[in-house]
This record gives sequence, structure tokens and C-alpha cells, in this order.
Amino acid sequence: MTDVIAQTERLHLMRPDATDWPGYQALITSPAAQYAGGQKTLSQAWHAFAGHQGHWALRGFGLMSLRTRDDTRSVGMVGAYYPEGWPEKELGWLLWPGETGQGFATEAALAARAWVYGTLGWAGAVSYIHPDNAASIAVADRLGCTRDAATRGMSPDDAAFVYRHPDAGVTP
Amino acid sequence: MTAATTLTTDRLTLRLPQAADLPTYTAFCASDRSRFVTGPFDAVQAFNKLCAMVGHWTLRGFGRYVMDLGGRGIGHVGPLAMDARDLPEFTWTLWDPAAEGQGLATEAALAVKAHLFDDLGWTEMIVRIQPENTASCRIAERIGAVLTEAEAPDWFPGALTYRLTAGGAA
Repeated sequence: MTDVIAQTERLHLMRPDATDWPGYQALITSPAAQYAGGQKTLSQAWHAFAGHQGHWALRGFGLMSLRTRDDTRSVGMVGAYYPEGWPEKELGWLLWPGETGQGFATEAALAARAWVYGTLGWAGAVSYIHPDNAASIAVADRLGCTRDAATRGMSPDDAAFVYRHPDAGVTP
Repeated sequence: MTAATTLTTDRLTLRLPQAADLPTYTAFCASDRSRFVTGPFDAVQAFNKLCAMVGHWTLRGFGRYVMDLGGRGIGHVGPLAMDARDLPEFTWTLWDPAAEGQGLATEAALAVKAHLFDDLGWTEMIVRIQPENTASCRIAERIGAVLTEAEAPDWFPGALTYRLTAGGAA
């Protein structure tokens, strides 16, 4: 059993494990993954999921699993993402199919932001969001992010919008 | 039963990959040495691959060890099962050219093979090697792998397939 890193009203945030694979796999092999790095085959998805585990080992942080406090169901992952090649440290979120529309991403991202600022000592964070991903843009708005139109996404030809979170010092 | 996360041989410690391995592994991925394993790979790919190497342990309970020689990672060795329905593939790679020619990969591969077959009760693995990678083919023979007629998979065209079984010659 992994230790709980942070908690919200409805969720526990913890290091991910194999429990999160079915939900991750369902999302990443579906067309909805167009907003999460692109739809992948099953083996590509497995490689990417294993990569999230390894991100923890190599960086000391990563995306956290979201488990409901009432029935310990995995509903998604939210947290700190900074793989090689990422221009800035990212606060990212993913919700599994069927778990959207309930406010889980906003609730969890607020707790995750407190964790990256408080425990990890980040000074700021960005979220890279596809311009057509209205649900995720709404989450960024609720988190008080502002779009940085002067900065392109992850590379000069990348379409993603850069949403900048309030800096550590000014977060409520 | 999950595999031991550390094994020791005469000269090596076999341990999980860690952040300190990234520079050596990244250099290997960028070098001509990775041509036998579908490389080269850039730094982003190297990071993701090393991450996945660690994550494989979390998800499967076994995976590839880093060969640690005096505190420095020089290569990796161990079983890989991207798809749990397939036979695990046994792999070894020396990242550091200076580590070649001393029998270190063979020493490491024999230790991992013994742990999987003797301690964990595994019965069979496959090995895939490009035929031009003659040094690696020799290691396969030394650890008792037997060449088969199996065709190469789509992701590794031209590769030879060896079979490694418990109780086989070592």
C-alpha cells in the first residue's frame, strides 16, 4: 500500500502503481488521448505508463494517482511532470474515461499545486493544454491560471497553449 | 514471486536503475553502440526509456538490472515483458565501451538467469540479437541459449531468436 501524499475532500493522492493501469490504458488507447500526448497502441501505452513510474524514480516526483476516499477507486492522475525535453516544470492532470465532469481534476490539482510548491519547492508551474481541450482549459481557469500567449507549447511548432499558474508566493 | 532487486556477482552489483545512470545511458543511446538495439535515441527518448526500465519493475515485479561496477552503471541486464502474455525476453547491453571484453555481461547474465530459473522457478525466455552483433551472440551461446528458426518481430527486423530454458547447458 502506497502512502498517501496529500488528500482532498473526496480524494487521496499517492504514488501510482499497477492499480492505475486499467484507467490509464482506457484513456490513452482511446481517441480522447488526442489531448494527452496522442492516442497510443496498447504496448505504447504500457511503455508510457511504466515511464510515469520511472519518472518518480529518476526525478523524485511525478504524477500522483487519485483514489476516491470512499471506495479507493482510481479516477486519474495529477501532479508534477518534468521529463527530459520539457521546457518548464508542469502541473498536469488526466482523468480516466467516465470520471470526468465531477470536479476531480480541479480538486486534485489544487492539492497537487500546494504539494509542488510546498514540498517540492517549485517557484511556479505551467500546464500545457491543447487549444481544443475545453474541459482542461476550464480547469486551468478555475485554478487561476493565465494563458501565456507569448510562449509556444513544448517546442516552437507545438500547438499546445501554455497556462501559467500563480507563482508559489501568491497562491491562496 | 517478485525478483530480488539486488544481486551480486564476483565483480558486479546488479541493482535497479537510478537517476545517476542517466548520463551514461543517454551517451550510450546517442552512440553508434545502440545501432543493434534499434537506436540511436536522443536524450528525450533515453530519459523515457530509462523511466520505463524502472517502471517495468513496479508493474511486473521483475525487470532489468543495472550492472554496477564500483559505483558506476555500465550496462543493463535482465528480463523484459512489455506484454505479459509473451515469453519474457532476456536482454543485456553494455553502455560503456570500456567495459567490453572482460566477460562482465556474461557474468551478469548468468547471475540473473540463475536467479530467475533457480530461485523463481521460471522455465523459459527468449533472446533477440541482430546477427551482426557477434559479441552478443557469443554471450547468448555462453549462457546456454539455443538458436531457433523463429522469425524476427516487426519491431526488430532481421533479429535472431534464441531460446533459453531452465536446465539447459550453461
